[in-house]
Order: sequence, then C-alpha cells, then structure tokens
Amino acid sequence: MFSKIKKQLQPKIKTLGSVLAKTPLVMRMLENLGFRDYDLPLAQSEDSRFLVLLIALMSFLSVLACSGTFALNDMAARWSSGLENKVTIEIAVETKDGHLLSNKTVRKETKKLAKGLKNNPMIKSLAVLSNAEIQELISPWIGDSLTLNDIPLPGLIAIELRNTNQKSLNTLKSDMLKLSKYARLETHHEWLGDLINFTRTLKNLSLFITLIIASVTIIAITAGIRTRLAIHQKEVCLLHAMGATDHYIARQFQRHAMILSLKGGLVGTVFGLVTTAIIIFLSSHSGTTLIPTIKISSAGLALLCLIPIIASTIATITSRFTVLRNLSKIP
Amino acid sequence: MIKFENIGFKYKESGEEILHDINFTLESGSYHFLTGPSGSGKTSLMNLMSLGNMPTEGQMTMFGKKISSLKREDLFELRQRIGVVFQDFRLLKHLSIFDNVALPLRIMGESDENIKNYVSELLDWVGLEKHKNNLPPTLSGGQQQRVAIARAVIGRPKLLLADEPTGNLDDEIGFRLMGLFEQLNRMGTTIVIATHNANIIEQFGHPRLILGNGKLHSSQSSNAPIAQKIRNVF
Repeated sequence: MFSKIKKQLQPKIKTLGSVLAKTPLVMRMLENLGFRDYDLPLAQSEDSRFLVLLIALMSFLSVLACSGTFALNDMAARWSSGLENKVTIEIAVETKDGHLLSNKTVRKETKKLAKGLKNNPMIKSLAVLSNAEIQELISPWIGDSLTLNDIPLPGLIAIELRNTNQKSLNTLKSDMLKLSKYARLETHHEWLGDLINFTRTLKNLSLFITLIIASVTIIAITAGIRTRLAIHQKEVCLLHAMGATDHYIARQFQRHAMILSLKGGLVGTVFGLVTTAIIIFLSSHSGTTLIPTIKISSAGLALLCLIPIIASTIATITSRFTVLRNLSKIP
Repeated sequence: MIKFENIGFKYKESGEEILHDINFTLESGSYHFLTGPSGSGKTSLMNLMSLGNMPTEGQMTMFGKKISSLKREDLFELRQRIGVVFQDFRLLKHLSIFDNVALPLRIMGESDENIKNYVSELLDWVGLEKHKNNLPPTLSGGQQQRVAIARAVIGRPKLLLADEPTGNLDDEIGFRLMGLFEQLNRMGTTIVIATHNANIIEQFGHPRLILGNGKLHSSQSSNAPIAQKIRNVF
C-alpha cells in the first residue's frame, strides 16, 4: 500500500520541487547558500577541508571552554544561594590556648549552646549536627574506615538567620559567647569568598582561552583567505577588469568562508556537546562529594548551540575585511 | 572617447619604463589596430585603456572623464563600459560556457531572466548555443576565442579591446572573427585590436597605432578593399 502511495506522490513531489527551485526567491536562496557555482573557483580549492577541520577543532575547544565557564558560574551561584543567611557555630576540639577538649565536654557545651539559642529572635531555625552527620561531612577527607571514637570531633550547630547583616551577626556572637566561651561563629563568608574568587579566576581563564581560540581562528582564516587571493589572483583581476566591485568579489569569499565555517562549527559543536555531556555524566556519577556536580543552565546550553553561528559570523566578517583590505591595493 | 596626453607608465616593482610620452585620441565609434613588435608595450597600453593599470605620468581621459581625478570606486562603473578580449582568453574553467558569458551581466546586477535571454541570444550569434552547458576545456581554441568575445560584448560595451584575438586561430576563423568585430563596430562600439598580424592589418585597413620601444611612432590609416567588402557583407 505504501509503495502505491509513494509511486503516486513521487512525480508530484518532483514537479513541486522543480517548480519551487525555479522561483526567483528560492533560486536566490539556493544561490546564497552556495548552490550556484562561485565566479571564482573557490569550491575546488584543496585547502577547504583544512579550514573545515580547523573551525571544527576551534568550535570543539570553544564549547569546552564555554561549558567550563557556564558550569563554574552555575556552581558559584549554587554555593552562594545554598549558604544564604546560614551560619555555623562550632565548639572546637582545641581551645584558643591549645588545650584539647574531651568529646564529652564538646557534646555538653554544644547542647547548652543550642538550648540557649533556641528562642533567640534572630534565629529562624537551628539544628545540632549528629555525630553521623559530622562523620559524613568529614569522611571524604579521612575515609570511612575510622570510627568516631578514634578521633575528637567538634560540635556543630547549623543555624539559619532571619538576616545576615553585621549588626545581627555581632549580637549573635555576643549571645553565643555568653553561653559558651569555646564557641566560634563561622559565617562562611570568608571561605566562600575565597572559593568564589577562585571560581571567578577559573571563569576568566576560560574566557581568556575562548578569546585565544577566536583570535587563532581569525588569524588562520585571514592567512587562508590571503593564500586564496594569491592563488586566484588572475581570476580576481579578470573580475576587476569586468567592473566587479571589491564588495562583489568579497561576497564570493565571505560566502565560501561562511559555508565552510558553518560546516566545521556544526561538527565541532556536536563533538563538544557530546564531550560535555560525558563530563557532566561522570561528575554526577563519580560517587564522591569531593568532585562537585557540574550543571549547565538551559540558557548556557542555548548559547553553546549558537557557537557554529558565532564561528560562521567571525569567519564571514574576517574574510570580508581581509579581501577588502587586499583588494584596495589593486588599482 | 579616449584621450592620452603625455602618458608614461612604469612598473613599481622593476621601475622599468614601459611606455613614455604617448599621445593619441580615439573618437567614439572608431576602429583601430594597435601594432608593433613584441615587447613594444602593446599589452601595457591595452591595460591602461582597460583601466587595469594607472599611468605613472600624463593625463588620461576616458568617456569624457579625467581618470586621475576619479576615485577608485568610480573606476568600477567605467570598467563595465569596456569589454576586453584577452590573448589567453582567460575563461573560468570551472564555469559553464553560459556562466562565463553571463559573468559581466551578473557583475552589473542584471536580472536572471535578462541574463538567460541575452546570453542565449549571443551564444546563438557566435554559434555556440548547443555548447552552453560545456566547460571551456572541452572546446577548441577557436570556440574558446568566440566565448571570450561573447563575454566581452555581452555587456554592450562602448569600448572593445582585443589583445591578439586571432593569435591562436587559423586564417578562416580569424577572418570570421574580424567580421564579428566589424559588425560590432557598425553597431557603434569603439574597437581597438592589438595585433602584429600584418596580413589582417593590411586586409582590413583600419587606422593604425604603431608602437615601438614604448613610444607611439605614428598613426596611419588605410582603406583596404577587403574592409569595404566586409562592411558590405555585414
């Protein structure tokens, strides 16, 4: 039955296709997409494949660098929002003068502190971390083989404040010290600030790498276009002799560069996205909390998908300017 | 149409003076042979007339415009009024005969419909309509020459320059080719043909520009009977 329908439809589709292909608008679109031969023999050039490969490689590296930037951005945002209005009070094992507290004293001091702060108006919620929770927190560094009895553990109270301005933090600190002289207030700001600074440095590094990739691409395209101009100098001069403007000739090169870079960009981006997906999968299935889970927002993903278009735009503009600059030297 | 006053030309790279103190005027609708021994500067003079190079000395006036006072952008439009037949044809090997001939019209921004009509008409005129989808390397020297001429005249140029157009052709085809030029000239195109084929110059008897050692020696005219005969034929 299907073959019968196919038989009936095939000639109609063919006719429709040929009618469409002959309409001026479609013809122009096809021509702009490179279906009409170039006036210059650019499509025959041997180094077209090299340019596609180069753009593919650059796009692949750009996807990885941008993925890194977006993932770090996302990670910093998650850390910041996860710790908003949260502080920790610690009963440290070691006192300021260097004495070690027994586990029993630590537990006792922690309980006393939690009880005293429970009804504090600045505190929204409060929770004493159990030994199991503390062990879970420190297990990535010391392993699971040690029992709690082997090491002294600090007392930890996780607190969510109503707000974290400096005044309320100072009040909390003084209330806390009234209840226990061993207590220390950990606001996370210091280490989080360091971490965010580190993340920002990595992010800037990724952006710098992306810029280097873009610069290398521009230099390679410029060199490629100059070589093409030298190879096809005779044909370029012929077009000039016929009255072709620099823009007419430049359009040929830019269309050529656009199509090649779009091809390369698509290939490189697909490979880059697959690699990123593998890295994300491995990070979420690593089984250790030391490696943070990598995530890329949907906006970030959409931007990554734009890389072939960005690569193609860079190639088009670069080729245009290179050709125009070189042609301006011809009378 | 063309006025050269004290024109000199030397290549920047070598500094060698190719042409010096060239003076002549070509009226609109005229037909001239440019002749002289090899290395006398014929091709350089043709390049100046086709605006492929700019003179290093003197004043060049074309189509009533002083070239030295024009901007580079203005030259593109002037070049579109000039058709050039190169000695080595310079056909684009990757393009079909149709696309080669259509090239000047595409550059001028002519519509696809007009291009189709004009090119088909012209290919018919030069007897190559059935070869329109062929690539240049599949044609003989004479056929390629006719494609080159069709490409040079498709834009209806005011000035047609041909550098040794009969150089690669046998006498019969050369004679027919000259007939095409006569016909174009009768339609108002100014023609300059660079050749050192004394036979053709004598037979067709148009005024001559004689170059020697980069200098224009004389401008002579003749009225050979064969030219008159060809004029009567077309």
